[in-house]
Amino acid sequence: MTKAKTTITDQPVTATGTETWQPRILVFACNWCSYAGADTAGVGRMEHEPHFRMIRVMCSGRIQPAFVLKAFEKGADGVLVSGCHFGDCHYIFGNERAVEQFDKTMNMVKLLGIEPGRLRLEWISAAEGIRFAEIINEFTEQVRQLGPSPLSSKRLDDLRIEEEIDG
Amino acid sequence: MMDAGRHPLIEVITNAEVTGMSGGPGDFRVQVRKHPRYVDEEKCVACGQCVEACHIVQGNEFDYNLKARKAIYRPFPQSVPAAYVIDMDHCKKCWRCVKVCEPEAIDFDMPARDYEFEVGSIIIAAGFQEFDASALGNYGYARFPNVITSLELERMLNASGVTKGHIVRPSDQQTPRSILFIQCVGARGEGGRPYCSRFCCMNAVKDSLLIRQHDPEVEDITILYTDLRAFGKGFDDFVRRSFDEQSAHYLRGRPSKIEEEPGSQNLTVFVEDTLEHQLKRVPADLVVLSLAAAPSDGAQALAAMLEVGTDQYGFIARRDPAVSAVETARDGIYVCGSAAGPQVIPDCVAQASAAAARAQMFLTGSRSADEKQEVEPLDLSGSPRVGVLVCHCGINISGVLDIDDLTASAAQIDGVVVAAEHQFACSSVGQDKLIELVKEHRLNRVVVAACTPRTHEPVFQETLSGIGFNPYLLEMVNIRDQCSWVHATQPQEAQQKARTLIRMGVARAKNLKPLMEGKSPMTRAALVIGGGIAGIQAATDLAWQGFPVVLVEKTGELGGRLRAPNLKYLYPTMQPAEKVLKQKLMRLKDSGARVLLNSEVEDITGYVGNFEATLSGAVDEKIQIGAVILATGADLYDPAGEFGYGRLTGVITSEELEQRLCHKPAAVQVNGAPPRSAAIILCVGSRDEECFSGCSRYCCPTGIKQAILLSEQGSDVTVFYRDIRTVSIGAEEMYRKARGLGVLFVRIPDGRKPEVLGTEKVTGVRCYDALLDRTLEVEADLLVLGVGMRPLEPETSKFHDILKASLGLDGFFLERHPELAPVETSVEGVLIAGTVQGPKDIVDTVAQASAAAAKATVFLAHDQVRLNPTVAVVDAEKCRGCGCCAEICQFQAPKLVDDGSGVFIAEINASLCKGCGTCASWCPSGAISAQHFTDRQVHAMIDAFFETEAAR
Ligand SMILES: Cc1cc2nc3c(=O)[nH]c(=O)nc-3n(C[C@H](O)[C@H](O)[C@H](O)COP(=O)(O)OP(=O)(O)OC[C@H]3O[C@@H](n4cnc5c(N)ncnc54)[C@H](O)[C@@H]3O)c2cc1C
Ligand code: SF4
Ligand code: SF4
Ligand code: FES
Repeated sequence: MTKAKTTITDQPVTATGTETWQPRILVFACNWCSYAGADTAGVGRMEHEPHFRMIRVMCSGRIQPAFVLKAFEKGADGVLVSGCHFGDCHYIFGNERAVEQFDKTMNMVKLLGIEPGRLRLEWISAAEGIRFAEIINEFTEQVRQLGPSPLSSKRLDDLRIEEEIDG
Repeated sequence: MMDAGRHPLIEVITNAEVTGMSGGPGDFRVQVRKHPRYVDEEKCVACGQCVEACHIVQGNEFDYNLKARKAIYRPFPQSVPAAYVIDMDHCKKCWRCVKVCEPEAIDFDMPARDYEFEVGSIIIAAGFQEFDASALGNYGYARFPNVITSLELERMLNASGVTKGHIVRPSDQQTPRSILFIQCVGARGEGGRPYCSRFCCMNAVKDSLLIRQHDPEVEDITILYTDLRAFGKGFDDFVRRSFDEQSAHYLRGRPSKIEEEPGSQNLTVFVEDTLEHQLKRVPADLVVLSLAAAPSDGAQALAAMLEVGTDQYGFIARRDPAVSAVETARDGIYVCGSAAGPQVIPDCVAQASAAAARAQMFLTGSRSADEKQEVEPLDLSGSPRVGVLVCHCGINISGVLDIDDLTASAAQIDGVVVAAEHQFACSSVGQDKLIELVKEHRLNRVVVAACTPRTHEPVFQETLSGIGFNPYLLEMVNIRDQCSWVHATQPQEAQQKARTLIRMGVARAKNLKPLMEGKSPMTRAALVIGGGIAGIQAATDLAWQGFPVVLVEKTGELGGRLRAPNLKYLYPTMQPAEKVLKQKLMRLKDSGARVLLNSEVEDITGYVGNFEATLSGAVDEKIQIGAVILATGADLYDPAGEFGYGRLTGVITSEELEQRLCHKPAAVQVNGAPPRSAAIILCVGSRDEECFSGCSRYCCPTGIKQAILLSEQGSDVTVFYRDIRTVSIGAEEMYRKARGLGVLFVRIPDGRKPEVLGTEKVTGVRCYDALLDRTLEVEADLLVLGVGMRPLEPETSKFHDILKASLGLDGFFLERHPELAPVETSVEGVLIAGTVQGPKDIVDTVAQASAAAAKATVFLAHDQVRLNPTVAVVDAEKCRGCGCCAEICQFQAPKLVDDGSGVFIAEINASLCKGCGTCASWCPSGAISAQHFTDRQVHAMIDAFFETEAAR
């Protein structure tokens, strides 16, 4: 029955130098709209970039700066915060709180020297499967252009190599 | 199916038929004969050993003999019950199966058993069968192996089917390079049934998209159609996607014959392209006949036995098909789904709920017997022992992801004691497997990697609760909707993603805490807003069942669009709208619902079971209700400035024509005389990306109805249309009648609009006629615009603001799920009925209204609502009493209270808290924890992501 056979080993995927670098993106989504939008993309089989992993919370208002900063600290190349459109939040104004939290987070991210293009806030409704897929594709491409995050071990490794060469 | 099989109040008797019936509504006696399956359902564990042992190979009817089965077999993978059955016509009684069956479930002497049931009402849901294609010689079915039916194709596309979702030619098992779908085979009068089967157009479009995804070797798909009938909500968008992705070529025409090339067995279809006026020969490796739906073989006998009769087509007859989709000639007996005629799934589901609502009127006292017995909770303490169950979902997941690799990888995660897989984790066997895993490995955390928690978490939670396992110790990982379905072209990346997601899920699971559900009282009363046919029906159904109902209508009269002078006759039966409305109002009156005219709902607060509505108008009061049904209807598109509307005299909307028909004498006059010639333009304000991309459903049949009325009055009538979508019962015949009366039908080419002639008054319409390939000019003293439906404002915005129920992209209220929950909204306890949900006609409106009433009774039948324990809680030690939480919470759940020593700390009222977790993120002291979505759980998931996938 199982059709696919892949050759991935259980070892964490590390840069081999030969394979092209792909970003690692964390997406936060609220249960009612953006997570449902991602499901809608699935029901419609709308293919999109696979380099993100999603964490579901009940409302975008639950997403606090510490979550995002933690992701960057651990090496995320991009973080997408998503929720319902204004007026659509299942808890009325949770997403407006999310904006305030997001602005705070953005300031901190900038202070840490992370490019602002690595953090994004998007509203996606349960019906907008296409929009979800488009945002994922677009954001993935944007982060890909930015390259590895300054905090990621890959970038640190690369810097170290450069230093060695310099030295 | 699975839900029904598991429900304590539903007894499923398979392999059985009704043999007799007596009595009447409230006390029917029904005789049922259960044919022996020769396998004891109680004993069979569905291990399949018997199948291995059996040596008789036979075609499987479920797979249209595309797949072999043994003489002992299971009809299909998710069958309920999950027991095997012996086909005695082919069994050689060699007893091999008996020898290998460990639970000794096989019994060759099993007799047929007769039962008699006493029931209050009966619902017929006996479905349909495919039109017999071999009756139509020119399509070559049964003569040419590579001509198959749409159901045969469906089986191939089925993940768990013979070909595992891939398309092959029956003649040589090769992937066809080109596929041609022929629509309307045996339907719409073409040598077969006079009606439209409703589902085939969308099915072909869907299949083309699916095949493109599954079998890239298929180079060419052509759909040969007559009219593209994308009439349902969101259907037109789907078709547009098919256009955008070029999943198929669309060819308008009908085939004259099919020829087979000897040797290769390739086919050639001869067809007249009615858009380009050419005779074409279309080569195809495989031809799929989209067959009409026909009444099932047993329908006639069943109808006779239940004394309900069949209609002119042989489907179960309905008392009044223009008004009610579910009522048969007899009280207490209802019909739903395609037993009464072809239907699409969302309509079947709505009708099923509607039939259930009506059926409840004759049931007494049985409903509250559903309180679950308390199950002794399992001891789940100690360090986490996680079990992971990975689902194949047929090939929905396993077609893209390597399941063995996923279980192997999961088994290595710290804390995981077992990782297993299952074909269909949600099937009853899959659920049993889950229980077995929990018991055998003494699990205290469960991770199910399958589809989306949004639909299936409750299923697994319920199974676990059933054995006393706290349902909040379950984590679902979405590797289908958000992985295999959307990364099918990048299986390696998808595999990596699935592994990581499972690791993140396990990380969260290890940090989950058991939670206990609370209860709060349920106000067993309902509010229905809007007194159109939808509101009237919903209120009547609920009040009949004895629930107090308040029906609030904004105007001074009930009836909505049906009240005079809005609608004259109803298609397809041409009954006066007035008469239908009168009957409905009489029933409403008898039901005892409280009706408030000239009234409005100002505000609604609270939550399911405990809403409070503020009413104004006839009364100024606040009422307590448990559920709300929204039935405020729809508005019509305003064509101002288009087609000379508002500028030329003689240009009116379909609604205005209807109003003129209502005047006495019922004649339509232009300048004091009946119009000599009239034109009707359809799709005004519908199927147009700029205003409303969907189809309004009612305008085609309404236009035809009006064309007939005008024509019978002596006018020459021309109808300009895009596709004629006469999908409702009787409408196809009406279309034929109109053509018979000499009504001219002109197809508007894509991307063009008819031009209206005249300076002060309308004189005619000019349009390029694609079928005749010339510009056509017709005279018209009267021009009727078939305007589409639009969301009603300001009601839509108002109730969206008050209730927070989500709206769809089209601006209508959004159903929670088009097939699984067509009348529910994003807000628990708030239901939608009728045209508030999207354009539809009266039959569908009435069915949906009854469905909404049925859903409301699901809540109202209980004295209590279960309270979600996933709420926010304050740690009094950490709280500084700043009151930030109380300030931001929209539900007034947190309050500052004196802890007794004059210190104020926050307390959160669990029955008000909705569990959004916003306050947990907002609290400056980190004193609030959002249960089930704690900081610790989220951080563990983030760690797991980046530990699994170090930088690459
Ligand atoms: C020209 C025309 C011809 C048609 N012909 C046919 C036909 O022949 N056969 C057929 O099957 N269908 C036909 N239809 C479609 C049919 O009319 C609708 O499907 C049906 O009437 C919809 O019923 P409803 O209850 O959803 O909405 P409505 O009939 O619109 O009822 C909504 C009700 O809610 C009330 N309301 C609105 N806002 C509020 C509020 N805030 N508070 C309280 N009350 C409120 C309104 O006053 C109204 O009474 C036709 C439609 C049109 C426009
Ligand atoms: S926000 Fe936090 S600290 Fe302030 S009152 Fe609420 S729980 Fe207490
Ligand atoms: S979790 Fe949301 S609803 Fe509950 S108290 Fe906090 S802010 Fe209010
Ligand atoms: S529920 Fe989606 S943002 Fe609040």
